[in-house]
Amino acid sequence: MKKQRWSLLALLFALVLALAACSGGGSTTEEKPKDEETTTETTETTETTETETAETESDALFDLAVTHDGEAIDGGMLKVAMVKDEPFAGIFLAELYEDAYDADIMAYASNSLFEVDGNFMITDEGIATLEVDQENNKVLVKIKEGVKWSDGNPLTIEDVMLPYLIIGHKDYTGVRYDTQFKNIIGAEEYNAGTADTISGLKKIDETTLEISFKTLSPSIFYGGDGLWTYAAPVHQIGDIPVAELVEHDAVRKNPVTLGAFKFDKIVPGESVQFVKNEHYWKGEPKLDGVIVQVVPSSSISVAIGSGEYDIVLSFNATKMPEIENYENITILGRPELYYSYLGFKVGKYDYENNVNVTDFEGSKMGDVKLRQAMGYALDIEAVSEIYYNNLRERANSLIPPVFESFYNGDLKGYTYDPEKAESILDEAGYVDVDGDGLREDPNGEKLEIRLAAMSGDATQEDIISYYLQNWKDVGLNVTLTTGRLIEFNSFYDKVQADDPEIDIFMGAWGTGTNPSPAGLYGSADQYNFSRYTSDELEGYVIGIDSPQAFDAEWRAEQFKAFQEHIEEVATTIPMQFRYEIVPVNKRVKNYSIDYSEPTELHEIELVSENPVK
Amino acid sequence: MWKTVVRRVLIMIPQLFVLSLIVFILAKFMPGDPFSGLITPETDPARIEELREKAGLNDPWYQQYARWIGNLVQGDLGKSYTFQRSVGDLIGEKALNTLWLSLVSVILLYLIAIPLGILAGRYNNSKLDKTIVLYSFISYAIPTFVLGLLFLYLFGYKLQWFPTVGSVSVGLDPGTFSWYIDKIYHLILPAFVFAVLGTTGVIQYLRSEIIDAKALDYVRTARSKGIPMRKVYSKHIFRNSLLPIAAFLGFTITGLLSGSVFIETIFGYPGMGQLFISSVLSRDYSVITALVMLFGFLALLGSLLSDIIMSIVDPRIRIE
Repeated sequence: MKKQRWSLLALLFALVLALAACSGGGSTTEEKPKDEETTTETTETTETTETETAETESDALFDLAVTHDGEAIDGGMLKVAMVKDEPFAGIFLAELYEDAYDADIMAYASNSLFEVDGNFMITDEGIATLEVDQENNKVLVKIKEGVKWSDGNPLTIEDVMLPYLIIGHKDYTGVRYDTQFKNIIGAEEYNAGTADTISGLKKIDETTLEISFKTLSPSIFYGGDGLWTYAAPVHQIGDIPVAELVEHDAVRKNPVTLGAFKFDKIVPGESVQFVKNEHYWKGEPKLDGVIVQVVPSSSISVAIGSGEYDIVLSFNATKMPEIENYENITILGRPELYYSYLGFKVGKYDYENNVNVTDFEGSKMGDVKLRQAMGYALDIEAVSEIYYNNLRERANSLIPPVFESFYNGDLKGYTYDPEKAESILDEAGYVDVDGDGLREDPNGEKLEIRLAAMSGDATQEDIISYYLQNWKDVGLNVTLTTGRLIEFNSFYDKVQADDPEIDIFMGAWGTGTNPSPAGLYGSADQYNFSRYTSDELEGYVIGIDSPQAFDAEWRAEQFKAFQEHIEEVATTIPMQFRYEIVPVNKRVKNYSIDYSEPTELHEIELVSENPVK
Repeated sequence: MWKTVVRRVLIMIPQLFVLSLIVFILAKFMPGDPFSGLITPETDPARIEELREKAGLNDPWYQQYARWIGNLVQGDLGKSYTFQRSVGDLIGEKALNTLWLSLVSVILLYLIAIPLGILAGRYNNSKLDKTIVLYSFISYAIPTFVLGLLFLYLFGYKLQWFPTVGSVSVGLDPGTFSWYIDKIYHLILPAFVFAVLGTTGVIQYLRSEIIDAKALDYVRTARSKGIPMRKVYSKHIFRNSLLPIAAFLGFTITGLLSGSVFIETIFGYPGMGQLFISSVLSRDYSVITALVMLFGFLALLGSLLSDIIMSIVDPRIRIE
């Protein structure tokens, strides 16, 4: 008995030692990068303070393009990692996919007809050109002659028409048959089954398609209004019933495409191998092929460091400190088409009449001064720096700066200024009556503001508590709806349903390439979550997409006025813009993520057989 | 005995029925639905509502349930919202991956654990025994993701002995010899992690059974008959000590299909565990319900199998 006890004790001791050794090792390895992180942070802050006057310089945080030294090798396989913890869906047809990751994969073999400029406007450089006849609400889509599919068949005008017949079909179950699509004349009749085809589509000759719309707006130049910007191969999928298409091998296993590379082999959910498309209309690609591989987020940083991949897509910017000291890569970055915001509920959505009903008097957040003060009280600058390593920045407007011609750079936004916040609150009558350190509303009643915020990664909780503290510092009692952070699905359910437990909420929008406020700020828009609408706002929202807005200068003015107006009423306060980061291995000779001059895929070259380690 | 088996199988039907009801209702209770993730400024809320209507998500739950159970009885599990393909095919594909992984893991597990358990039991209280016990405690205490990441880092990225991600390399033709070899090559590292983590139970059971058996009469009898020690261990004790492990065999077999979320996520290995988590996150109802039903069925089947196996290997036990 005694002996056993001793052995048990010895064992425990050994275990403790082993554990201590483990944890000791862990903490030392962890500490090192942390030190480095703080030093780089401080240097970065000094940099930003220096360049603060030249606001436009902020883009220079990262390079947009890179050219690595060395002589290019013949061919080679480009290895692309896509950071993702689940399998990809694998629907490789532009008309049918729903998951953005599928689009990222397809980009290497894209069926895109048009090319766009830095403002995402359609240019004449692509396979097809666009001619807009504003007067008659018609457009002409003209395709180049001699363009071939990856299997050698020529691209026909029927291939341009097919996508409309797929999306408009009654068996189509995706999101793309929407109000915009119904703007094509005859789309609804075709969908209802009363017509065999869409009457608004008219083949003029072998290379020209005429499309008639109910109305046209400047969105047409950005691929909106119902215009579809991809082709689909009639000779491959034309005879497959639409209902069966999404599960068909032609979509899942061997799609025929137009882009620089073509699908060669697919491991479902895991990886795709592309080989070069000899028929590519811009010329034969220099690479032999591309491999796209899904890589779990837990190991991506190590994988980058050991040179497993040449280009990494969907890299989470919060992991930046893990890779910033690697010498085998160059980190490219660009502002994302994204903004996060703080929204204030100032009304309700009337689901019967499909209209937003604004009610400032009846809303807790109805006082513009209160909303403004809440904006000034948030130290978003510190959060951007400490939690996001400056990969996010304080947003001043609801249009990301990437949209140069629409973005209103003159707006100040709600920069951190707690004193100003306090004086505004004092002025508006929100003062502490009962001496508990928290302000009461102008009627002297206790004021508790309920914030709905989404759950996210490990830092999200800290960030939100910091914001709550910011508000407390100016005397505002803000608490979390449901008492904790809310899971994504639930969050939007509650916000969209105008849950009475929500006074303010923190959300984000990816704007896509069309930054028009339609859909998000219009009087009938369900996604106008703050429920603010007014004649002035509605004027801008409608104006931006009206025929008058074909005048580009006028449209830009409307955009700027829209941003100014929202800043004034402060029903939605922009919080952050963010950067997208793309690590590129040094064996990639040339690569660019510049929106205005992206890399031509067929021109990418490698300088060595294996990635730099 | 077979009567009992048939009865047990019949009892499964109401059990599964209750499970299906609970699962279905709980799934519907989750906030959001497969379409709530589609919100972007460009999607049309009216269209999303239309899709909900088309998918029947606006009907009362009992109507949806009746429809679903009706299809289920006919073997139709529905269509995944995320993957846009039949749930049967989807699960089939992932189940195959998981089955491979689990099979290799279980083989490795027994290869490691049985010899260690026997050695520890036979030489109990020796240094060897203590080392083995220490090992089994450590492997029991270490979290899956820590060991997974550690092995991935060491053997995958530093030493580069094994592939680091996925179930197979993309460049090979499915069905060829090199494709199978590559698949097994991809399996070894995750399976090894899986196996190491599972060894504790087997080692401990085996060890204590052997220690107990050493003092039992039949062992003494065998010894007194002059049977050499080695033979006593390999013939007499070993077979009897395996009984508790055999008792779990049924669960082990059916557990092969459940998969491990951690291992699959760390090694980017698309299996059942990963599918389950991602379907819960994206509210892919048809996949969630099908998977829970499958897991429930496997658990029931596992316990039945275990009982049957026990009655076969241990004549003292009878199923009545």
